[in-house]
Amino acid sequence: MTTNPHIRADRLNVYYGREQALKNISIGIPANRITAIIGPSGCGKSTLLKSFNRLLETNEQVTISGSVSVDGENIYGQGVEVTAVRKKMGLLSQRPYPLPMSIYDNVAFGPRLYGIKKKQALDELVERHLKQSSLWQEVHHRLNDPASSLSIGQQQRLCLARGLAVEPEIILGDEPTSALDPASSQRIEQRFLELKNDYTIIIVTHILRQARRLADYIIFLYMGEVIEAGPAREIFEHPKEKMTREYINGTIS
Amino acid sequence: MNKRILEETVMRTLMKLSTLLILSVLVIILITILVKGLPALDLAMITQSPKGGFYLGKEGGILNAIIGSLYLAGGSTLIAVCLGLPIVLYLNIFARPCSRLVRFIRFSLDVLWGIPSIVYGAFGFTLMLFLGLRASLLGGIIAVTFLILPIMCRTMDEVIRMVPRELLHASYALGATRFETAFTVVVRQALPGIMTAVLLSLGRGIGDAASVLFTAGFTDHIPDSLLRPAATLPLVIFFQLSTPFPEVQNRAYASALVLTVIILAICLTSRALTGRYTKHTIK
Repeated sequence: MTTNPHIRADRLNVYYGREQALKNISIGIPANRITAIIGPSGCGKSTLLKSFNRLLETNEQVTISGSVSVDGENIYGQGVEVTAVRKKMGLLSQRPYPLPMSIYDNVAFGPRLYGIKKKQALDELVERHLKQSSLWQEVHHRLNDPASSLSIGQQQRLCLARGLAVEPEIILGDEPTSALDPASSQRIEQRFLELKNDYTIIIVTHILRQARRLADYIIFLYMGEVIEAGPAREIFEHPKEKMTREYINGTIS
Repeated sequence: MNKRILEETVMRTLMKLSTLLILSVLVIILITILVKGLPALDLAMITQSPKGGFYLGKEGGILNAIIGSLYLAGGSTLIAVCLGLPIVLYLNIFARPCSRLVRFIRFSLDVLWGIPSIVYGAFGFTLMLFLGLRASLLGGIIAVTFLILPIMCRTMDEVIRMVPRELLHASYALGATRFETAFTVVVRQALPGIMTAVLLSLGRGIGDAASVLFTAGFTDHIPDSLLRPAATLPLVIFFQLSTPFPEVQNRAYASALVLTVIILAICLTSRALTGRYTKHTIK
């Protein structure tokens, strides 16, 4: 465990109505690493991820207790502006949801929200982030086409570029490759490996092999509880808990 | 024959029959106004205001009512969009979904939709008396706005409800506020549906006679002020049909033809325009 985690959840409890989705979660997410949240379906992986950028609150049934700190500041504290919290994080969802506008406008959406208006500055940002998500080659000649005209794999990379354009510190991926074909998945994974030098990356995945390929740090959730968390090598090679061992060997799912 | 295949055949036949029934009503209406109206239609009809004795079969046209109807329907549709869009965005983006207030608003709009237009006319008239307003274009616009607001809201509501939650989340995740999300992402995504809502309301507003009967008044002049009375096509049709002269009655059909063509033209242009703006919609 690193001494100074980028994100720290402390006694985090989340309820959907009466049902408890997360039970007393206390974990730290190391900076500039890829952390994978693994566990069987319905164990609360996505809920944990969405508690980091406060997207959980858009569901009115949700009650949250405990705290989540980013850079040492409790994002659920009083007077914290939710848009400022979200600006620190880019989100990739299971299926890409480009905004209903052109490729260019999708990437420029975030920067425009934060007051960048000059065309030259926007052009430069769009190009940089499309290159960063390795989409530039494919789209530079048709930036004004609708984003919906791209393939699913390209759309996911566009969503990555869109998220990077708000210059976040953290990238959240909610099973970001589950709707993609193998080649597109590989490209996204490749991007993650390059981006981790500059960003803290957290992905939810149910694909163990993906977690092995990418993750430096693993959080294993089961029925809303953290069973084990630690460096990937340790978890995969010498799991302390019996349940983790069984999950990794495929005896429980 | 197999019972399930029989069922399939019977149901399909019934569906075809009901489609045919509705289509034939439309076709018969069109044929009637074409056959009776086309011979009575001439250039003077759509380029002149009524001269003295127009309703007795003398010279003139219905330009005053064409302009009056366009002003009235255009004005009220514009107001209804300006009032309706915020209502609908509130219901779907800002308010807690399924809260009591939201359900109450939806229920009220449904009830308002069902109120007959003559009641809106009478209500508008009472309101005008209270405000000291006489029968005028403004009065008509207010009454028609009441009439079409629920239609506008509920139609837009149904499309905006279809916008995927994940699309909203994508926008929120970039740090957009609800307001920014509503007016950039949601409105764009729902634009085709919003256009349909506007069209439905416009069509309803331009074709309604009862709500403007007391409120907009009637005149032979083209309205030049919001406070002057304005003639409308549905009332022109009504007055012409209720005369005892066959040639004036035929002019009623000609006026109906003009009204139909106007609605058709509005529909076609806006469809063409929407096509241009829907290319960005996310499926």
